[in-house]
Amino acid sequence: MVEVKHLTKVYTTPTGKVTALADVSFSVAKGEIFGVMGLSGAGKSTLIRCLNFLERPTSGEVWIEGKNLATLDRRELARARQGIGMIFQHFNLLKLRTVAQNVAFPLEIVGERPEAIRARVRELLDLVGLADKANAYPHQLSGGQKQRVGIARALACRPRLLLSDEATSALDPETTQSILALLKEINRNLGVTIILITHELAVIRAVCDRVAVLEGGRLVEVGPVAEVFSRPRALATRRLIAMSGLVPARPELASATVGVV
Amino acid sequence: MRELFADAALQRLILQATAETLYMVGFSLAIALACGVPLGVFLVVTAPEHILPQPKLNAALSSVVNAGRSIPFVILLFLLMPVTKLLVGVSIGTRGAIVPLAVAAIPFVARVVESSLKEIDPGVIEAAQAMGASPAQIVFKVLLPEALPGLLLGFTLTAINLVGYSAMAGAIGGGGLGDIAIRYGYQRFRDDVLFETVIILIALVQATQSFGNWLARRAAKDQRRLSA
Repeated sequence: MVEVKHLTKVYTTPTGKVTALADVSFSVAKGEIFGVMGLSGAGKSTLIRCLNFLERPTSGEVWIEGKNLATLDRRELARARQGIGMIFQHFNLLKLRTVAQNVAFPLEIVGERPEAIRARVRELLDLVGLADKANAYPHQLSGGQKQRVGIARALACRPRLLLSDEATSALDPETTQSILALLKEINRNLGVTIILITHELAVIRAVCDRVAVLEGGRLVEVGPVAEVFSRPRALATRRLIAMSGLVPARPELASATVGVV
Repeated sequence: MRELFADAALQRLILQATAETLYMVGFSLAIALACGVPLGVFLVVTAPEHILPQPKLNAALSSVVNAGRSIPFVILLFLLMPVTKLLVGVSIGTRGAIVPLAVAAIPFVARVVESSLKEIDPGVIEAAQAMGASPAQIVFKVLLPEALPGLLLGFTLTAINLVGYSAMAGAIGGGGLGDIAIRYGYQRFRDDVLFETVIILIALVQATQSFGNWLARRAAKDQRRLSA
């Protein structure tokens, strides 16, 4: 489904070159929920933006469903992006459009007919449980409801892949649970592959099949969630686990947090 | 009352002047919007980090706009006379005043558009890009609609500035309320004319502002976002 090979991203800033990602490789199977975990500044955001080329990698390759994104021209890239949904930490909804109009937006982009758009929007709002909010404006919604609109919008063009950029990080724990349940349901019922980035270990534990740990732009560990969390190999993973407080911190883990907390 | 309001002949003159002012402001505003909006959009999208980055072109265009804005209007009036003659056949009169008024307002409108469009959350633009939206779709479906309330207020401001500028058009025989106020009110000591033209100008500006506010509030959907 997704294959990332030797991905490197270097930013040129006035003060010099900054390496955001260094030689990152991994692959995600169809139907999987794959999590990328790391502290802020680890390169998570850059990584997920490279998966739909919102950021162009400096070197390395991103393959989505057998297509190397770097070889696509502008039009082909736009079409490829239409097959990849994305949801965001701050939802990024259009303020002056209603809920229904926001969900219709990607369908307008692809030139869908108005009747087809109306029907599809109704379907999507039912799916995310917001049928009664169709004519509300984003400012009238709670955070969780806004993210549901974001999810409905991301699914509008029936993507095979959904990218989630810290989608629950602006939400309270209870709302986070309901959004995660929705993502899991979408994965199970619609067969959408999900790649999510988060700094919250609980999110990974709740929904992911496999997890990758990023630190300083390098991928330090990849594996099934249960395995990585029960026998973390990389120091960065141990730190994240110890800091989350989810697993009783053993002495050697606690010592690993020194200088970080 | 005879002291305060002008007689019938002068009333006709004032009425005609009001029509001239509306004519000058209306036409020059239409032209300024037609040229200034695309220019402003271009200034935004070609900025570094935006959807069609062209840093050099952007910087060049930006300095042209700044140069345009820094020329005092009275000077622009005379500077543009040959151009005006070429475009509308005359370099003076009400018709002749439209060209310099429009030219003065274009860079202003461009900056108004630029500042309104820059207010838009970059995350929203990124979301549209992630959906595969083209630059044109982003401009017409995201940037302009989302910035509409601010744009409408900015255009209102432009119209009001044009009313003020049009008063100077008298310098090239442009007519209008400002011209009447200076020639009759000031130079012939007719305080009644001066008084009346000022009242009409105030009413014009008030009406324009109220109308603009109303349009902007309607466009904003959310009443809390605009209290003006």
